[in-house]
Amino acid sequence: MKTLSFYIILLFIVSLLAGCVQTNILDKVGLVTLVGYDVGTEEKISTTAVVREVNPEFQSNVQVITTENKTSKGNRMKTNRKLSKKIMVGQMRVILLSEELAKDNIHHYIETNLENATVSNSLYLAVVEGQMAPLLEYKYNNIEDVGQHIYRLLQQNIEQEHMISSTLHEIAHDMYMAGDDIAMPIIKKDEELVGIAGIALFKEDKMVGRLSAEDSFFVKLIRDNFKSGIYETVLQKDNVPSDLLKNKPNEISLAFDAIRSKRDIKLVNPTTPEFDLNLKVKAQILEIVPDVNMDDPKKVAKLEKAISKNLTSDIIRIIDYGKSIESDVFGFGEKYRSSVRGSNLTKEKWHELYKNMKVNVKVDFVIMRNGVFE
Amino acid sequence: MKIQLPFTKSKKRTTVVKETIKKDIGMITPLKNEFIQSIKDATHNPADLMIKNISPNLTLVYIDNLVNDVTLNNHILASLQDKPIDTPETIKASLSIPEINISARFEVVVTAIVNGSVLLHVEGFSEVILASIPKQESRSLTTPENESQVIGAQIGFNENLSTNVSLVRRYIISPDLCNENFVLGNRTNTSVAILYINGIANEQMINTLRQRITDLDIDALIDSAVLAEMIDDNSISPFPQMLLTERPDRFCDGLLNGKLGVLVDGSSMAIICPQSFIEFFQSQEDKNLRWQIATFARLLRFSAILLSVFLTPIYVGALTFHYEVIPLAFLVPLSESRALVPFPPVFEALLLEFIIELLREAGARLPTKIGQTIGIVGGIVIGTAAVQAGITSNILLIFVALSALASFTTPSYMMGNVIRYIRFPIIILAGFWGYYGIMLAFCFILIHLLRQTSLGAPYLSPFYPPRLKGMADSIIRLPLPLTTKRPDITRPTDQEKYNKEPVNPKNS
Repeated sequence: MKTLSFYIILLFIVSLLAGCVQTNILDKVGLVTLVGYDVGTEEKISTTAVVREVNPEFQSNVQVITTENKTSKGNRMKTNRKLSKKIMVGQMRVILLSEELAKDNIHHYIETNLENATVSNSLYLAVVEGQMAPLLEYKYNNIEDVGQHIYRLLQQNIEQEHMISSTLHEIAHDMYMAGDDIAMPIIKKDEELVGIAGIALFKEDKMVGRLSAEDSFFVKLIRDNFKSGIYETVLQKDNVPSDLLKNKPNEISLAFDAIRSKRDIKLVNPTTPEFDLNLKVKAQILEIVPDVNMDDPKKVAKLEKAISKNLTSDIIRIIDYGKSIESDVFGFGEKYRSSVRGSNLTKEKWHELYKNMKVNVKVDFVIMRNGVFE
Repeated sequence: MKIQLPFTKSKKRTTVVKETIKKDIGMITPLKNEFIQSIKDATHNPADLMIKNISPNLTLVYIDNLVNDVTLNNHILASLQDKPIDTPETIKASLSIPEINISARFEVVVTAIVNGSVLLHVEGFSEVILASIPKQESRSLTTPENESQVIGAQIGFNENLSTNVSLVRRYIISPDLCNENFVLGNRTNTSVAILYINGIANEQMINTLRQRITDLDIDALIDSAVLAEMIDDNSISPFPQMLLTERPDRFCDGLLNGKLGVLVDGSSMAIICPQSFIEFFQSQEDKNLRWQIATFARLLRFSAILLSVFLTPIYVGALTFHYEVIPLAFLVPLSESRALVPFPPVFEALLLEFIIELLREAGARLPTKIGQTIGIVGGIVIGTAAVQAGITSNILLIFVALSALASFTTPSYMMGNVIRYIRFPIIILAGFWGYYGIMLAFCFILIHLLRQTSLGAPYLSPFYPPRLKGMADSIIRLPLPLTTKRPDITRPTDQEKYNKEPVNPKNS
């Protein structure tokens, strides 16, 4: 009985002590939904935070606050001084980095957020074209909460496979892996709208180049497998098979959807290095202008061949661009590292090899159906 | 840690009643007046003690409110009218009453008169005829009010032991149905019957139950719920380990599965044991429905329990500590509905749960006619007004109402109560420690349940110890060809319920 009462007292004391944990009651905290980092004018880091506050008087409102300080945590303290509620980052959904900052170094910003346990690893990162503050502080006519809007914009495009995925988890993976480089979407203010303008390509932790939003399809084709995508292409006159149509048009425009792709990289020669990139793409045709008679299997085969050829040239163009800026967002280095025993690959080593890399691209395009509506 | 309950025989108590009876033990006097006086003394001369002289040497003594008047008039008084009175034996032969005895022991005679017997004393004989014609006061059989179901028998036990036993005997027409009678309570002398099926029920369990009942040394026994608490394996636990049911079909289904049943005179609830935790959430209706529907109903009920226990604590924990886990879609509605509330979430939740419990309690205590008013007052007035006054958020109102509703899906009212009350400590823990508190409470409940037994059988059967065959009829119900075995918890002598049949019989 004595030991029992001892334990009861111990439990009671523990409960009293543990009861002192700081509470974060939802309506008593300001929730940062988006944070944007920029290069400061006076101090080192400028931070723009989109904070959602709830008050009894005006229900719910969104505040955009820009502060400058030496560290990001210092900026948080400065932001706190301007708000009626303590700010918490547990509901953060998007981190934006300005182009200027991205071209300098993003390593610190990724690491500081990765180390914070309350920050979700599934939040999205993106680069902003131009300055940060004007994008976030602008009072858009139809956007009430710019933080949520940008999150939904990115989420929607990434889930639809229109854009490469750039969660904090994936970015950190690419950053710490020897044979991978970071790629993330670029966001741009377009009058009253915010839109995706392209893809930023990084070498190690610096942004070195960019591709257009249309080219993101090819980047994703080389990096990942598609489960369902949508893509539009134009066959130029030289690529159009001669006997496909009676009057050979200048160009044929095609739109596909339900794309399923499977990529397969093989290292054939480790010294050069040389890779075989085999892509199997299956798609259904949504639109074709001008009309082609698809009842003839021979014509379909020819069309498939033409599209394959067209895709191959595009993919080679993209890889060549990547090589020219020394950014391996496609993951060839990762294949090299996993195939060559004892390579001890580092980022520097790989970028040296990467410049002289050879890739043999082979695309196998299959039309599954045609004339199907969405 | 077993705590000794005060009513087991280890503690010796002396009872006053027993001593008074003991004093009068002895033979019956052949003298008429002395006999009448001794009966008057033994029963403390009640106002309803009737003494009738049929002829100079034959006396009838009975308690008016205990005997059946019609039988008395038609079968005793009428047949004694013109008969010559010689000896008790000839009178006994001339009476057309099934239960008739002759006794020379005074103790037996006194017990018989309070049980509803008519004493016939012939002067000159020290033997008394005991004609048992008790008045069977009972309401007619009605539908079970607390355990209603759509498909199935619409009959419930009533307060009469013999009616209840006959109900069971009508379901199970078999000479193997055993019925053991005990008398409990020094002052109430309540009849208690143990029912089981010989050849199915486990001998050891019968002995355990028999011993637990005979070991009881209690003053009075009014209801079977009290008996169930006293013979439970762990009376301190909030979880009942024996099922109380008012459905004869459920009772018989239990017996046929090798369980033991206990009926108490004066109580409309029968006890079934051993009972596993999962079986409390099964309804007899599940047996009557097709297996897909029954499985859905059981899964629905089981998820309702989890919802009922954990929904409000999760709300409290998320809003107090873990705002990170709230999905984006909920974030704005949740925080906006909370904006006007001046209390922390734990207090808000406790307040609302308290109001719901108040309404339930008021609804249960009030007469049915006023009960509807409570529903309107509670549902519309308090609910709407509380949100508009900014005492609670309307999302929490939905959560609390939902978890209250979910707790009522439990077929056993006793278990439903536990599910409802167990929420309160978890809410408080969630308010202090967040999800760690909920986890702590969950682990605590799980360990507690693991340690329980029902008549010595594991309480969490068939999940712990795991029995795959038993799981086929637990939170799901598989088709009949797959559930041929009796549940392991009862350790039945005969394991197979019926022969396995092919799922799709061949066309003959």
